[in-house]
Amino acid sequence: MSETSTPTTVDDATTPIVSPSTVKKSKYRKRGQVAKWLSIVWLVLLVFTAVGASWLPYVKHSCDQFESKADCRTHIDPNPLLSERPPAWATFSETSRPIVRDAPARVGLMGTDTNGFDIFSRAMFGARNSLLIGAMSIVFGILIGGTLGLIAGYVGRKTDRVIDTIMNIFLSFPALLLAIFIVGFFGSSGADEAKSRSIGPIILALVILSIPPIARLVRANTMVFAQREFVLAARSLGAKNGRIIVREILPNVMPAMVTFAITGMAILIVAEGALAYLGLSVSAPTPTWGSMIFSGQRKLETAWWISIMPAIVLFLTVLAINLLGDVLSEKFRIKEAIG
Amino acid sequence: MKLQAESRRESGVLLEVDDLHTYFSTPIGLVKSVDHVSFTLDRGRRLGIVGESGCGKTVLSRSIMGLLPRRNVVRGGSVLYEGRELTTMPLKERRKIWGAEMAMIFQDPMTSLNPVIRIGKQLIEPLQIHLGHDRQTASDTALQLLTDVGIPEPEKRMRQYAHELSGGMRQRVMIAMALTCGPSVLFADEPTTALDVTVQAQILDLIERQRRDRNMSVVLVTHDLGVVAGHTDEIIVMYAGQIVERALTPVLFSSMKMPYTEALFRSIPKLSDPSHTRLVTIGGRPPNLIAPPEGCRFSPRCPYATDVCTTTPPELVEATPGHWYACHHPVGSERWQEVNVRMNTGHSVEAS
Repeated sequence: MSETSTPTTVDDATTPIVSPSTVKKSKYRKRGQVAKWLSIVWLVLLVFTAVGASWLPYVKHSCDQFESKADCRTHIDPNPLLSERPPAWATFSETSRPIVRDAPARVGLMGTDTNGFDIFSRAMFGARNSLLIGAMSIVFGILIGGTLGLIAGYVGRKTDRVIDTIMNIFLSFPALLLAIFIVGFFGSSGADEAKSRSIGPIILALVILSIPPIARLVRANTMVFAQREFVLAARSLGAKNGRIIVREILPNVMPAMVTFAITGMAILIVAEGALAYLGLSVSAPTPTWGSMIFSGQRKLETAWWISIMPAIVLFLTVLAINLLGDVLSEKFRIKEAIG
Repeated sequence: MKLQAESRRESGVLLEVDDLHTYFSTPIGLVKSVDHVSFTLDRGRRLGIVGESGCGKTVLSRSIMGLLPRRNVVRGGSVLYEGRELTTMPLKERRKIWGAEMAMIFQDPMTSLNPVIRIGKQLIEPLQIHLGHDRQTASDTALQLLTDVGIPEPEKRMRQYAHELSGGMRQRVMIAMALTCGPSVLFADEPTTALDVTVQAQILDLIERQRRDRNMSVVLVTHDLGVVAGHTDEIIVMYAGQIVERALTPVLFSSMKMPYTEALFRSIPKLSDPSHTRLVTIGGRPPNLIAPPEGCRFSPRCPYATDVCTTTPPELVEATPGHWYACHHPVGSERWQEVNVRMNTGHSVEAS
């Protein structure tokens, strides 16, 4: 009667739970591992070069081509000597290249664009902006959308109905149209810098695009967890609503939110590209991947690399982010299944 | 401080429930889950609430604590805890009572622990908030609590998540959580239903030991007469939201009056039964609580029911001091004997 802890319970708890994933390491699983590590390596390299773009030797190389050594991002004078040179590894015959004396036939890793900028270094400077736009948008999207979703899901009733209706209104617009509208509306408000659009309106547009889906996801998850008994248990121990939302429900909603956010970031990077392609992203000298692709669209037949090279970088990045999102969701799912 | 501790040791009425009712308004009508229930609970006593699924046991314990959501609930009656009225108490005040004075253990330990927070943190937080412990004291207390509830290697468990523990372990952790702030009343809402039979007894013994050590009162809600038999002082039998019988445990088992209690008792399989004996069940199902049967609510399922039963609801009457029941034809009455004789002969005819 007094000694109630029998071996059965002890054994039960100390035996480690073997998840099915560790038992069966199939070929598929290994391939998934390779893809995961490739994605991580790609993203780490990308972030590293994006952050250090101004200092890394090859990346800043494009600036060295100019006598003034002024910030190459603001330099828009065409350099005819280097303009539209194909990448160094391109060995096909070049018939349509304008013949410029003393001009190198092939330049750099990715060639040069119409202004004579090295596309690789611009793509790395562009990574800075594209990743920053994607990350900032999703962070704000999560902060606002997540909060709205938690409140709507937990409080319910009228609050839920109001928030849900607003989200539905936003969701009923075609996403790109909404983004164009927001950028057009807020981007041109500053009279003195009407021509040079900054990063702000783009982020604002993307944040507004990302809020409704995040809010809905979080709301649905919150509703599920708010019904669980541990919430009632916390309440029966005297926890306040704010505490229950933040300490009990939020950690449970987090996995779904993070997974969604990572995939969402990929979508937002593409969305920025779409905006840029329509000429609605950050103004000319500041590169983003989208605006780089846009700048080469009329030369696809003669100088394909101007569009294709940044497109490949964009593609690989989005792919890597998506794969990473898959890995994360897999990880969370296993844990959820045992719990 | 000392005085307070001594006063806690005292016996006396701790909880007084008077005419409590809880109705849920739904689109199809008012569900009378708890219908005019009254009882008192003394300090340090163990009360069992027994009944089928859906007869209002859980709602009763939750409405005593005031844990039910406010929307769509019609409530009435009073709950006095140490002379303080709980039903009209503002939420802010009630929160101070929750956990510190009254605590609850839930049926399913799988869902009542947060899956993504470490066990230790779940135990430490209420200590820090309610009792104002600093991290170290709270952590030490939590460790002690886990040891008290019979969890081996408590340091290791503190760092683990709920899914790493077995069902019995989780229920122990739940009990530890409920005990963190030293409540005077512990509501155990079917604490063993989700557990293996072997673990059930351990958990019940654990609750019993903690009750004795802390001079708590325990309200044990269950559908299992076997569980309440050895672990309560007094039993309330509920049917369709109402109390139908109430007596001290030994009295109830030796001289039950209400046919519903009798039916519940009969449906426990006995070791002495020959093998392949058909399990005795109570025919039909608990009544619709939106429109309960007129008269005695058990009458549609009661083998002894007569015309009186379907028209006049029986009042709670006292058989012996402290033994209350609500029935027109209690066990032992003429009608009861008549029916039982008929049933027995009927059986033998069928058998031959």
